[in-house]
Amino acid sequence: MNVDQELVRRVQAGDKKAFDLLIMKYQQRIIHVITGFVHDPVEAMDVAQEAFIKAYRALPGFRGDSAFYTWLYRIAINTSKNYLTAASRRPPVSDVDAMDATIYYDAPELKEFETPESSLMSDELKQAIHLAIQDLPEDTATAIKLREFEGLSYEEIAQAMDCPIGTVRSRIFRAREAIDKQVKAVMGGEEQ
Amino acid sequence: MMTAKQRELLSAFVDGELNKQEIDELLALMETDKDAKTEFMRYQLSSDVIHGYKSYSTPVDLTQRISAALTDEKAHSVEATDMPKAKVFALPNWFWKQTAGLAAAASIGALAVVGVMNQPQTSLSPQLAEIDSVQQQGLTHSATNRWTVGEQEVEDRLNNYLVDHNEYAGASGLFSYARVVSYGEE
Repeated sequence: MNVDQELVRRVQAGDKKAFDLLIMKYQQRIIHVITGFVHDPVEAMDVAQEAFIKAYRALPGFRGDSAFYTWLYRIAINTSKNYLTAASRRPPVSDVDAMDATIYYDAPELKEFETPESSLMSDELKQAIHLAIQDLPEDTATAIKLREFEGLSYEEIAQAMDCPIGTVRSRIFRAREAIDKQVKAVMGGEEQ
Repeated sequence: MMTAKQRELLSAFVDGELNKQEIDELLALMETDKDAKTEFMRYQLSSDVIHGYKSYSTPVDLTQRISAALTDEKAHSVEATDMPKAKVFALPNWFWKQTAGLAAAASIGALAVVGVMNQPQTSLSPQLAEIDSVQQQGLTHSATNRWTVGEQEVEDRLNNYLVDHNEYAGASGLFSYARVVSYGEE
């Protein structure tokens, strides 16, 4: 089952709480995309909020022709451009293709706008995550790598590893718990 | 304090691997346990960072701001079951009206062919003559524009079809192929 599609269906049927889950899932990515246009983090959050509100209002017309995130991504890009136009600032000439939205990695158009702080934070987190994965038992590490780096579904991982889907799910969960310990440590260090 | 099963639910949501019942459980969990949201956002952040998205020192949470901004918005009420089918079956009304008109005209055309075949002088081949003679036993066509059938009930029904067609064709703007037929007494 496509979880995004099911959440969209619920929002369209009147369940506002289902929209909260979609916000929680995609807000970091959307803020990241908007920061490529609107460099100030506070302004970027305002634009992200506006983009989500526009998406909510437009959801009755969303027919599922594209993935929900691709659709949301386009709204975020348009909202950013409109924001810059309204603020009389020129939007970037080159765009990130909407088709790349779901397989998005380090686009140079956006990377150039990263702040030193956010770059440092991301690098520290990446390092902590990779160290955590290295320390995992082999089966657990394989499951999370196939999921996060290869993008396989639980069913595909179960076939590849010749084990039940439930086992894949619990291995990935254990991997996330281990990663989360490292992430918490990095974040805790930042807050001090 | 969340259970391991509940945290596993959050992890599966990061991967979009939940069924409908688990989505219900997740929604309920988010309502009742504030830690659930924080925990999920850290799981999601880790996944996002792996995929190259940059991060701030603490995960940003816009859900409360957006929910507050949408408080006065009316909840949607679109029937989701209509979504995927709409494109396939959304033919305009005029299409069905014209199709019905054409179908009616075609059926009357077929009746007219049967009528021609029943003309005594129009037998063009032995096979047609044979059909003609068989049909003559049950169905005859007089010199008038009315069907004349051996059985009164059948004759009435056929004439009623012609009348109905004539009236429908007149009302819909279609040319009536049955206008040559009159149901009045000559």
